[in-house]
Amino acid sequence: MLYPEIVIAGCGNPLFADDGFGPAVIEEMQMLSLPDNVAIIDAGLGGPHFIFTLLDPEVTSKLIIVDLADFGAEPGTITKLRVEDLPPGAYRDAHSWDLAEPLQRIKDQIDVTIIGCQPAKVTFPEFELGLSEEVQNAIPKTIRVILETIGVDYGTTIKCLQEERQRGTAERCGSTETR
Amino acid sequence: MSKVVEISPTTRHEGHSKLVLKVNDAGIIETGNWCSITPVRGVEKLAIGKTPEQVPKIASRVCGICPIAHTIAATEAMEASIKCEIPKDALMLRHILQLANRCHSIALHDILILPDFYIPGTETKINPFTPEEPVRSVAKRIQRLREIGQTIGQISGGECIHPSNTRVGGMYRNCSQQAKTKMYDLAKEGLVLAHQQAEFMIAVIRNYHRRDFVDVGGMKVALPKTLGFHDQGYLATHAFYGSSSLEECPSWDPHRFKEARPWDWYMGEMEISLEEPRYPIGGTTKIGTKVNPQMEACTGIPMYDGQPVEVGPRARLVTYKFFDEKGTQGQNVAREMEYQDCFYEMIDCIDALNPNGKVVADYIPDGDGSLGWATNEAPRGCDAHMARVKDWKVQYFSMLVPTTWNFATCSKALEGAPWQLAEVVMRGYDPCVSCATHMIVLDEDNKLVAQKLIQ
Repeated sequence: MLYPEIVIAGCGNPLFADDGFGPAVIEEMQMLSLPDNVAIIDAGLGGPHFIFTLLDPEVTSKLIIVDLADFGAEPGTITKLRVEDLPPGAYRDAHSWDLAEPLQRIKDQIDVTIIGCQPAKVTFPEFELGLSEEVQNAIPKTIRVILETIGVDYGTTIKCLQEERQRGTAERCGSTETR
Repeated sequence: MSKVVEISPTTRHEGHSKLVLKVNDAGIIETGNWCSITPVRGVEKLAIGKTPEQVPKIASRVCGICPIAHTIAATEAMEASIKCEIPKDALMLRHILQLANRCHSIALHDILILPDFYIPGTETKINPFTPEEPVRSVAKRIQRLREIGQTIGQISGGECIHPSNTRVGGMYRNCSQQAKTKMYDLAKEGLVLAHQQAEFMIAVIRNYHRRDFVDVGGMKVALPKTLGFHDQGYLATHAFYGSSSLEECPSWDPHRFKEARPWDWYMGEMEISLEEPRYPIGGTTKIGTKVNPQMEACTGIPMYDGQPVEVGPRARLVTYKFFDEKGTQGQNVAREMEYQDCFYEMIDCIDALNPNGKVVADYIPDGDGSLGWATNEAPRGCDAHMARVKDWKVQYFSMLVPTTWNFATCSKALEGAPWQLAEVVMRGYDPCVSCATHMIVLDEDNKLVAQKLIQ
């Protein structure tokens, strides 16, 4: 099967500043060692058609989506949402085949959690690279919430994560790549 | 007296586009305008000053459907500019990745067009989500094909959506012998399914186009035998993969390409004078609404040898395999005919792949600022990227994405069709609109005249 029991998908487009929050969280999480039944995927803009419509409910039991959410809080604040809390059209399939939302289809068979972060700036339709400071600072907390949600041992991983951050890895996002 | 009808937004494809149609009293399209209404984004500007490693990553984020084509085309454009030849095994991995993406994409397109068609021998339109046979097993097959495509893509490309394994100079890592065997097994399974799927789809497509009348939202519409015919040319650069300026005999020439401004091409300001509330989904635009495709269109009109051309599966089959069927029917059939070829080719590439071979070029030059281009035959057509790299910095980058080529060609193909079937014609092009927003315009002397103004 393509996707294992637990799927964590970071959604959003890094070309629109804070919209790259989801992929940035995934990039950080790729440095952790997680159990084999967990997949962490940089979904980009492809979430609806590459992941949500391709999950097999007999294998996958938990889907965690990391994305931006505008819920009127201070930028960088994190919230946990259910599919029911989403405004209509939030994850409409990009192909909008019957104007139905794939998450609505799977929510009864798969446990879906959306972890949303309040953005400071989304620059659509202008391109801009890089997260704002508030949203960048929300990444460790988000990872903590995700690990808690999937039940991975809290203390050790977080310690590792803090060490990783001290080495400056969080700032790596796309800026200091070398050949 | 001609009337104006607008279908906005168009459905069952990626991105936001609309159709503005001038129709005669019988409802036949006299002039059709299909245009993207996704605002312009300046990927070309953003790329300047970045390293060649970063730009393919930026390019892959432009669109959610074909990140693989954009990654490969952008990477190869960089390699073409710095004149770096990649090892054969790296190329094989890229071929496999490309074909895996096509395998997923055709399956997805099948789901999107199926609701237009009938179950052969009945008057029932196909609902791909119904739990009843025979559609249920087709839907399962489509899902399995998509899974196979994504899994093979994940193995060869590193990640299944935005491939992380490609790099300027080749690939980061080769796959293991076990991974090669797994890809081979999956491809063999996929080949059988692709055969079945193509046969089913071709039967359904032929059945539809043999009908005299078809149903659209409860309206009985006469189906012309020339639905979607046009006299524009075709552009394809390879039977399945692509070409680049590094090749001895490149199959694309940037000098034959020119771009016209949308305001020279599309219709000007008009008022909607025909409204049809029965049209799915939610009816057409209300009478009295003002439309202005000239100003609303977000793409230029790319021309090859002075005219818009068609890109995509039929263009590939016409150019390389003597295919001669025209219209929407020919287009959909061509796409299905590519399905088995896609797996045959993939199996050949997996055979040729040596898991112990090197996948990174020994020497990666820094670039001297010369123009390099690469094309990649994305599922929906030719994706051409051009770049200039000097001292490991990108000086110039431009993307000519598949659906941009097709906008003007499809607009021509709409002429003569009943307006209710305009979306059927459009879906034949498997449009992916959101990345089709490249907007640097050249005038007749090939000078840069304007960045698009949005009003």
